[in-house]
Amino acid sequence: MTESYPRFNVSDRIEHWVQSVSFTVLAITGLVQKWPELGLTDTIINWLGGIETTRLIHHVAAAVLLFAVIYHIGTAGYRLYVLRQGKLIYPSMRDAWAAIHAVGYNLGLRQEPPKEGHFTFAEKAEYLAVVWGTAVMAITGFMMWNPIATTALLPGQFIPAAKAAHGGEAILAVLAIIVWHIYHVHIKSFNKSMFNGSITRHEMEEEHARELALIESGEAEAPLPPVTVVEKRRKIFMPVYALVAIVLLGGVYLFLTYEQTAIVTITPPEQVQIYQPAPTTTTLP
Amino acid sequence: MSHIIIGGEQFGERMNRRVGLIVGLLVIGGVVAASGAAPGSASQVDQSAQLAAAVQAAVSTGTMVHADVISTDNKTCFACHKGTGLTYEFPSGESVPATIDEDKWLASEHGHQDMACVQCHTGISRYPHEATATDLRSFVVNESKVCVECHEEQATMVADSVHAKARAEGNQNAATCSDCHDPHYAVNPPVSRTEVPATCRECHSAIYDLYEQSVHGEALTTGNPDVPTCTDCHGVHEIQGPDNSPFRLFSPEICASCHADKELMAKYDISTSVFNTYVSDFHGTTVLLFEKFAPDQQTDKPVCIDCHGVHDIIPPNDPRSTVFEGNLLATCQRCHPDAETNFPAAWLGHYEPDPHKWPLVFYVALFYKILIPTVIGVMLLFVLLDVFGRIRRRRQHD
Repeated sequence: MTESYPRFNVSDRIEHWVQSVSFTVLAITGLVQKWPELGLTDTIINWLGGIETTRLIHHVAAAVLLFAVIYHIGTAGYRLYVLRQGKLIYPSMRDAWAAIHAVGYNLGLRQEPPKEGHFTFAEKAEYLAVVWGTAVMAITGFMMWNPIATTALLPGQFIPAAKAAHGGEAILAVLAIIVWHIYHVHIKSFNKSMFNGSITRHEMEEEHARELALIESGEAEAPLPPVTVVEKRRKIFMPVYALVAIVLLGGVYLFLTYEQTAIVTITPPEQVQIYQPAPTTTTLP
Repeated sequence: MSHIIIGGEQFGERMNRRVGLIVGLLVIGGVVAASGAAPGSASQVDQSAQLAAAVQAAVSTGTMVHADVISTDNKTCFACHKGTGLTYEFPSGESVPATIDEDKWLASEHGHQDMACVQCHTGISRYPHEATATDLRSFVVNESKVCVECHEEQATMVADSVHAKARAEGNQNAATCSDCHDPHYAVNPPVSRTEVPATCRECHSAIYDLYEQSVHGEALTTGNPDVPTCTDCHGVHEIQGPDNSPFRLFSPEICASCHADKELMAKYDISTSVFNTYVSDFHGTTVLLFEKFAPDQQTDKPVCIDCHGVHDIIPPNDPRSTVFEGNLLATCQRCHPDAETNFPAAWLGHYEPDPHKWPLVFYVALFYKILIPTVIGVMLLFVLLDVFGRIRRRRQHD
């Protein structure tokens, strides 16, 4: 019998896939701009229909990711404020010890793996990396997208600095996904929870032993508040979030449309009469 | 009807010796043609004597002899055309000097090659010469059509030029072969590099005036061959202009052909990283990608000349330069009309980010140079340890 343990609801899964698709599109359309000399860049940009289209796709994907961020602020806010589930995701010293424990276990110094809760230290680290990375990319992306608005407040140097950070953070993010995410979720064992929403008992035993033990003893890592309390907080949270979401959506709209950075026509660099015979001209010898 | 004008007076008004000579030539031409002798044959040895006789005959009888074919012998032509003060008048009223300096002709490349006048002046078969054109300009254009007979390679290149394009669009002023290459006196190589601007100036004097004041033009006119002359950027026969997308798009490569040349730039203490720093920036990256994928399309991103100026380009430390620090904002505003004071510093001015000039950019880049290997290194370490642990435990289990 294969028991399954619910992990991600439909909303979480949609969020994840919207984010992963936009992330992948951003990574591809961004890295080709970082390395325009590469042979692979040629193939990709050509396939996408040129650099201007590539940039347009990058911007559309950025907007999609920002919408996912605003949605996530809602779901995360609901979990933290209304359901008080913060304990599940906040990193703690226990996670640091779990990481050290895991090293010891893999080196053969400890007989048992660390017993982890709903989110492992590896998952919490990845979540924090995504939060940090998205914030850096959004801020530096805004600066490059709106350099005139940025330099109205900040020194001009912030634009190339933003570009350096955007490119560096992109490499960091892509490598982290390849090394950390792909290994932990797909190679170590194929985790299907983002497809079907749940994980197997075997996976629970191996990765979330503490959570499993709590479930079996009828407890919860972060117990849900009583329904009446949930209802009360919901009534406060929903309008606040609606307001925040409207402000943030307005922010995204500004992000996308704030300035017309450059004219789209070409100003002739020189105004000169092209045909102007020399004052003393002899047309034939 | 066109007329040969001699000494400023119309033919027939004064029957001088020279005219008699021409009539004589025509007689000879007729005789040669009628007898079927090959043009330019050995009979020319006796030409002078025959000529004199024919002239006498013509003058005494007062007849005008029209020949069907004029001899292809250059002497025949020179008999008249080395005479000083000859001019030719077109029906339009324009006139052109028709005197050819025989010594200079013989010293020219065409003279060296024993070219016959009528090889190029094909429309002439009698005297008075047929009117091959109604005006001077169409005469020049028509006569140049014959150059392709010998100079096919150059003519093919010219066919792709901005001049050929302009003429195809009906612009008769567009330069043709003989506008640049004097067909009678040109030597080989036809035009030296330092002479090129003077040649182009014939039609592009306003551009020449700008070029003459530029850092390049100033150096060239004082005899420095290191600097670009017109043809170095625009090409020689397949001359390209700014209305041509690939020309504008690829122009940074033209600049780079000198400005990325370490040896050449060292002589003038000019940085050779200008091209690389341009390409690594947003503008240059875009232009590079357009070059690759859409060479026939324009991009609104600037190339070198958009900021530095075109023909009047001057060093960036010259206060008149468009890229002089105090003028940068105005230059940026040409494409970024809303740009404010801080905006120009968003462009690193062709400098690699260094801790003194651009500390923020330098340290952000440095931060990621450290952060990326550290984070990814730690991740790899954990992953490899996990792989190692799993293999070890499996072995123990077995």
